[in-house]
Amino acid sequence: MKSASAFHVGDSFELVREADRYRPIYYAAVSGDFNPIHIDREIGRAAGFPDAILQGMCTMAWLADACAAYLGGPARVKRLKVRFSRPVVVGDVVTFRGRCVAIEGPVVRLEVEARNQRGEEVLKGASAEGWVEGEA
Amino acid sequence: MPIDPRHVGRRYGPFHKTVCAEQIRSFAIAVSGGVPGYFGPAQADPAPGGALVAPPTFGVTFAMEPFALACCDPELGLDLLRLLHAEQEFEHGAPVRPGDELTTEGEIVEVRSRGPLDFLTVRTETVNGSGERVLVARWTAVIRG
Repeated sequence: MKSASAFHVGDSFELVREADRYRPIYYAAVSGDFNPIHIDREIGRAAGFPDAILQGMCTMAWLADACAAYLGGPARVKRLKVRFSRPVVVGDVVTFRGRCVAIEGPVVRLEVEARNQRGEEVLKGASAEGWVEGEA
Repeated sequence: MPIDPRHVGRRYGPFHKTVCAEQIRSFAIAVSGGVPGYFGPAQADPAPGGALVAPPTFGVTFAMEPFALACCDPELGLDLLRLLHAEQEFEHGAPVRPGDELTTEGEIVEVRSRGPLDFLTVRTETVNGSGERVLVARWTAVIRG
């Protein structure tokens, strides 16, 4: 297990994920979010987007993956907070770049930016808090 | 059209869910293709289901229902074609493991407007069978004018 002393302010981490054609459908199947805007291209277009859009919670799950990998385990992710500033459209590739901004005892604070392949932010103010003592 | 503030305090639930190992694995595979961290030895535990701990946003599977029902509530009459998920916060407590019996309740805690945008926030709280809090979440939708 990654020990508390292994974390440093200024550490950075990165994760890249693609919203392939089937990702919103896979995500609907496991999350229960079958809102047609996510799985039907025509509904996505009717709502004003170029295609179906990925569930925001899937983008957030990827953010959580990035943080969990850095923190050393899923149970270490204690808080997550995001604003979905721009929909992730089918075909988009999202790059998450995170950094450790503070360490207060066992609490590790992270800030993460998430951009699509055009460099546009898809999340704003994304932050996470890890707890790096005890169970991971 | 702004959401009537009289809906603040409207409650949904309780909803009961039992977590199973296959659901956790399916979720992790669909989201991540099975990141090793979800299955690694660091999670080894004698609890039912062995090594599995639910991924951090697994709460969508057991805690989203109050938010989904509020968005579709005929009393609120929101236009779903104009509705998007705007903000999300998760605060995790006890880890979620296979076999956990979870109970979630939700409440509309805020409605607000900014220009042509209307916002609806639902707060949910989920406890396990031992009464430990496993998740507090705030779910915010935006309805584009």
